[in-house]
Amino acid sequence: MKDGPAPGHRVVVTGIGAVSGWGWGADELWRGLAGGAAAIGVPARFDTRRHRTRLAAEVPPSPNGLAASVPGWRRLSRADRFAVAAAMEACRQAGLEGDDARGFDLGVFFGGSTAGMAECERFFHGLTERRRARISLLVSHPLNAPGDAVARLVGARGPVQSLSSACASGALAIGAALDALRDGDVAMAVAGGADSLCHLTFAGFNSLRIVDAEHCRPFRRQRQGLNLGEGAGVLVLETLEHARRRGARPLAELLGAGASCDAHHMTAPHPQGAGAALALRSALGDAGVAAGDVGFVNAHGTGTPQNDAAEWRAIEQVFGERARRIPVTATKGAVGHLLGSSGAIEAVATVQCLAAGAAHAAPGDGGADEDLGVDLVVGGARPLAPDCVAVSTSFGFGGANAVLVLRGWPR
Amino acid sequence: MSPSSSRPAVVVTGFGAVNAVGCGREPTAAALASGTPAWSEVERPAGYHRRGGGARLAGLAAGHDLSAWVSAGAARRMSLGSKLAVAAARMALADAGIVAGAEVGGKPTAMVFSNAFGPSMITEKILTQIESEGPLAVSPALFTESVANAPAAQVAIVCRALGANVTVTQREAGALIALARAAGEVARGRAGYALVVAVDEVTPLLHAVFDRFGALSRPDAGGEEARPFDRRRNGFILGEGATALVVETAESAAQRGDRVLARFLGTASAFDPEAPATGWGSDPAALTPALERLLARAGDVDAVVCGASGSVAGDRLEAHVLKAVWDGRPPRGGSEGEARRLPPLLAPKAVLGEFGGAQLAAAVLALAGEPCGPTPGFSEVDPELGVTPWAGGEPAPSALLISSLATGGAAAWAVLARAAGTLTPSPSPRGRGE
Repeated sequence: MKDGPAPGHRVVVTGIGAVSGWGWGADELWRGLAGGAAAIGVPARFDTRRHRTRLAAEVPPSPNGLAASVPGWRRLSRADRFAVAAAMEACRQAGLEGDDARGFDLGVFFGGSTAGMAECERFFHGLTERRRARISLLVSHPLNAPGDAVARLVGARGPVQSLSSACASGALAIGAALDALRDGDVAMAVAGGADSLCHLTFAGFNSLRIVDAEHCRPFRRQRQGLNLGEGAGVLVLETLEHARRRGARPLAELLGAGASCDAHHMTAPHPQGAGAALALRSALGDAGVAAGDVGFVNAHGTGTPQNDAAEWRAIEQVFGERARRIPVTATKGAVGHLLGSSGAIEAVATVQCLAAGAAHAAPGDGGADEDLGVDLVVGGARPLAPDCVAVSTSFGFGGANAVLVLRGWPR
Repeated sequence: MSPSSSRPAVVVTGFGAVNAVGCGREPTAAALASGTPAWSEVERPAGYHRRGGGARLAGLAAGHDLSAWVSAGAARRMSLGSKLAVAAARMALADAGIVAGAEVGGKPTAMVFSNAFGPSMITEKILTQIESEGPLAVSPALFTESVANAPAAQVAIVCRALGANVTVTQREAGALIALARAAGEVARGRAGYALVVAVDEVTPLLHAVFDRFGALSRPDAGGEEARPFDRRRNGFILGEGATALVVETAESAAQRGDRVLARFLGTASAFDPEAPATGWGSDPAALTPALERLLARAGDVDAVVCGASGSVAGDRLEAHVLKAVWDGRPPRGGSEGEARRLPPLLAPKAVLGEFGGAQLAAAVLALAGEPCGPTPGFSEVDPELGVTPWAGGEPAPSALLISSLATGGAAAWAVLARAAGTLTPSPSPRGRGE
């Protein structure tokens, strides 16, 4: 373990935004999480009838007036819309509305894995059915589209980076923003991720037989797999000096980030969680905190038998005997697996837990799988100390791992 | 990554490439030296392309024998992009004298890839399965390879690379953002070395879509040819391939006794929020401050490896950005009356096509002593741009800027320099094939 945090500026979160199965907004997300229920059901818009399983956490229709408030809304893909809505909300909370936010000191760091794939599928359907398809459906197909849409919306003139490393994408993007802020490349960053439901991922995960036909049950003994979700999570990050200068109120501090790779298998995690443990240690070292300082884990927790077991082994390796006493929750149990944006919305949820002083419960009945020994938050929220240190983990296909370390900002 | 005086120097010690002109350093260097592209006709029987006219050419790499780098068994499980990436990565490791799977300096190995559109062929196959047979027919093996980071994961498995594994998807700017991230990983001490791989594949559908957007050079619009900065340019030609670099600290390279291909001096990036999603902006002032700051930090350069590809709007913006930064300004350390001159402009996409890491390849090879040849397709100065790309015979660069302006508004730049003690390369040949 390092003696202190990575050199450079301290970085704080001053705004959050979210779009999820619970609705368009971080408040909607938090109300859902705090309520302990899941936003998972049979989707109304996304047709799952021909798929092996039916359930997903689908984002409800957008609120009245939102479309009119975003320039070029009609041309945006569904993932783009989630991204810009969450970014608008985060910027509003951070007090970054208007021209004062625009400039060379503002960067955008965004992760995702589907971008405009849902629209691409409509294009492809038209092409195969009628030999004709609307080319405009592909404008937002590239994986840089959601991040670019956010950058256009907020008027960013600094670095804009889009990353796609499967389910680690969103957390990697937030880590990239942290590096840029510490280095002084930017003074502010809009960081997060967005993804939408599409047939390619729905059919693909089903083909791997890792989707639960019922509500997913992360860390429970009866867990059968994941449920897919859609949405976005966005953080406004800035250096502490910058936030103080503006009079912005931090919601949490982003202490560190770590990344690693299993280098083991394209889809299966390392059975002992070796890569995940490396990312955890790397993040704690980057944050300059000891494993004993961590008071809360928002786990990747997909609900697949293999992933949850491997993640628990990683937590055990890093936290030792204390692992069984650290409250662990799994946001995916409530809003599904948002794939490339899961790390982003779970970072938002982690900030919300820290700000509320309570870890949200993982929806569902019963306690954790006794073989795992995880102290799963169930049956109601668990109190957290005002300056609690939390980690949010993201582990993706191809063994890509990313971990964020956040600390509550005492009011 | 902004250079920090406390951070160690970063160098490039390995190079590998698979692209339309062949496999390895030699064919790439020879094609760049002679200014000779290797375009092929893209399959069109699927009927995706517009009827009559329309683009036909691309730089395709799918036909190469990669068995020296990718076993037949492994190849069966991989997308084309993964195969190209593994082959290029193995070449780069061999070039750097690193055994695949070994760590350098006792630290994990990082993988930073760029990939503009993901494994397009696999995606098309899955969508075809869904359309024709329904979602239950989707193959799990195909789905596994459909994610954008599949090539990075496959190379990580080959190299047992336990460090950060990141895939950048910022289109034309992605390769330079990946280089910057890789430099950061080694400079911060997080990785013993990093592999940077820019990998892109071209499918008939992807080609047709670019054609429908009017981005590609077409035979019915003045001839199908990549003509960077030329008055008659009418679009670019897509290039498939993978370019791989090994990046490590200078100290690490020295300890291993490895020779240095190039020194990394800094990077910068910026965004033009007024740029449309499918094109480039028109205001150089949106991008010039970041580039000026980079040059102030990294020092003057004597060549620019441009992203110019023959795109009407992209080449125009790049020329205007470069001229805005250079024209009429005094050189550092020069007198007030002295005008700084725009350095010679290399445009390697005229040879290797758009995507696949053409600029990384051209930059590192030029600094490693390979001659730079003429820019094919260029014959007529565009008066609106007022720039002339590399003709062949210019002095070999000792420090160069790589400039990449992406569709959608992002831009990235990097400065690389020749290794200390590198022999001055011989002047490049003057004409194509000479």
